[in-house]
Amino acid sequence: MAETENKAAELNIPVADPNDPYKIPAAMPSSADRAPRSFEVSAFPVPARDQEDWRYTPIDRIGEFFDVFKPSGETEIEVSMIDGSPLAEGVTLSQVRLGEGASGTVSKPNDRVSAVEWNSGSTATILRLDGEIAQPVLVKVHGAGEDLDAFHLVIDAADRAHADVVVEHDGDARLAEGVEITTGKDSHVSTTFIQEWDRTAKHVGNHRIHVGEGASLRHSVVTLGGDVVRIRMDQDFGGEQGELNMLGIYFVDPGEHIEHRTMVVHNHPDCKSRVVYKGALDGKGAHSTWVGNALIEPTAPGTDSYELNRNLVLTPGAIADSEPNLEIENGNIIGAGHASSVGRFDDEELFYLESRGIPEAEARKLVVRGFFGELVEEIGIPAVSDHLMDVIDRRLARGEDAAMAQVLEDK
Amino acid sequence: MSTLEIKDLYVHVETKEGTKQILKGASLTVNSGETHAIMGPNGSGKSTLAYTLAGHPKYVVDSGEALLDGQDILKMTPDERAKAGLFLAMQYPVEVPGVSMTNFLRTAKTEVDGEAPSIRTWTKELSAAMKRLKMDPKFATRSVNEGFSGGEKKRAEVLQLELLKPKFAILDETDSGLDVDALRIVSEGVNRAKEANQFGILMVTHYTRILKYIKPDIVHVFADGHFVKTGGPELADELEENGYDAYLPEGADSESALA
Repeated sequence: MAETENKAAELNIPVADPNDPYKIPAAMPSSADRAPRSFEVSAFPVPARDQEDWRYTPIDRIGEFFDVFKPSGETEIEVSMIDGSPLAEGVTLSQVRLGEGASGTVSKPNDRVSAVEWNSGSTATILRLDGEIAQPVLVKVHGAGEDLDAFHLVIDAADRAHADVVVEHDGDARLAEGVEITTGKDSHVSTTFIQEWDRTAKHVGNHRIHVGEGASLRHSVVTLGGDVVRIRMDQDFGGEQGELNMLGIYFVDPGEHIEHRTMVVHNHPDCKSRVVYKGALDGKGAHSTWVGNALIEPTAPGTDSYELNRNLVLTPGAIADSEPNLEIENGNIIGAGHASSVGRFDDEELFYLESRGIPEAEARKLVVRGFFGELVEEIGIPAVSDHLMDVIDRRLARGEDAAMAQVLEDK
Repeated sequence: MSTLEIKDLYVHVETKEGTKQILKGASLTVNSGETHAIMGPNGSGKSTLAYTLAGHPKYVVDSGEALLDGQDILKMTPDERAKAGLFLAMQYPVEVPGVSMTNFLRTAKTEVDGEAPSIRTWTKELSAAMKRLKMDPKFATRSVNEGFSGGEKKRAEVLQLELLKPKFAILDETDSGLDVDALRIVSEGVNRAKEANQFGILMVTHYTRILKYIKPDIVHVFADGHFVKTGGPELADELEENGYDAYLPEGADSESALA
């Protein structure tokens, strides 16, 4: 009889002891991402503002990405080493039909636009990285103007690979982009995505990322323009001791909507993740969104995670949405922190620079450059960080006279 | 030969407790090559005068003029005042994270001169000036004033004074927080810059010790928002002896702390 009672007690939902609330984990339903993962478009409803994932997005401006379309195929793709030389040994470029080879292997589409991208496109570009590759690989994506197009890229790094990839977008575009990144055991890889779009461009991106056991991945995103840019990044680990460093920089002009959503999943023990996104917003109707999700699963003791978002509002009228979401399902972790801020320009810094003869507009640029520069410096790969600073300087020097442009570009 | 004429200046600030009148009819004329010491007790408005001339947005001008060679700088933005030839060495130089000293100095020089300095001469001039101020070359690559000690910040201010070559330099308590060696190095820098460019100096201080290194031609006592007495260098000695009590309004607390 006593035995039956015990069994019944085990089946009961545990009730936390008010004197020792941490003794039994509360039987709370998880609020973790339960959204579907599927290659089928019909698995996802058409985005609407009342859906959590789309609440910040001006969906009426990107309606063309909600149903399967025939891609124009006009997007120009060029792949070389970053100095323009042919691909080095260890870098293999291939094209496969979508769904074959390495494509479609890193998780599955996770929202309507990523399922539409998968079903609209027909080929995937596969970049296989093996061994120690000294120089970064550069993938140039030049937009096809107003014609809708889809592009699917797979970055597949072998075990113990050491490699850097820079993906650069420019021109005008209506581009649905799918990116799969998978890194092998003990590899050390960086991937950098630069969006230097024209002001009219629309871009929905979906990165699905898998970090190998004992591997480190530095994933950077720099978005400096576009009418609507929305990039969602979902990641998980493939084993213990993985390290993920996500870094983001964005600069938003009047009327633009720039959105980044990161989803970091700790599903293995002793992995580390850092997400640091910084943005500057300038002018009326400039709108940025950062949503940083981090989930620490019961299978991930020893997790060390941190996410941070900072926004610098340069002039009145801009809106920065910043939303960190943390779900911790394991009490045995090193850390799970987050920080988020939206701040105005510091008037004392501005006055100091102005009192040295630097006009207000220039002073703002210098401070913005510094705001981003601190982050770029942390990349620690000179070929990549120098390239990024060039891109940022080019953006800041827009509309300057030649002499000042020169000064802004000199470091 | 340039002239800076401050005429009957009234300035207030807005505080939580309401409007506070700080400058109450300040008038002063400074010519190129002259060094004026402006001395007075804490809270008398000396620093307000300095920041008002430089154009800090906190200080609201009610009336009066500040004519630099006939042009009222009070109607200009802070950067225009710098271009017109005004330089303020601040008591608490501001840290600007992420902006390197090199980039900052070169940008400022370009703006003040109206053209970018030639890279070769500029680099030479910069490193020579830093060497004279006994500044570690690594400061050039660090962010503006970030992590600098008090003395390093003051040297960086004097470095800018040497490089930007203004017509008038306002030194706001440049001596505060400096040990004897740093005070000497900073003062020598100011003297060297003055020797080279013959600018006028308005030196705000309440200690007399800096006057041993930077010799004033004229000493003013500033109290309760205006100039109350003007004399030669001997006036500083008198202040050293007797303090500011004689210049404070009846019944006011003396905050005088003469070294």
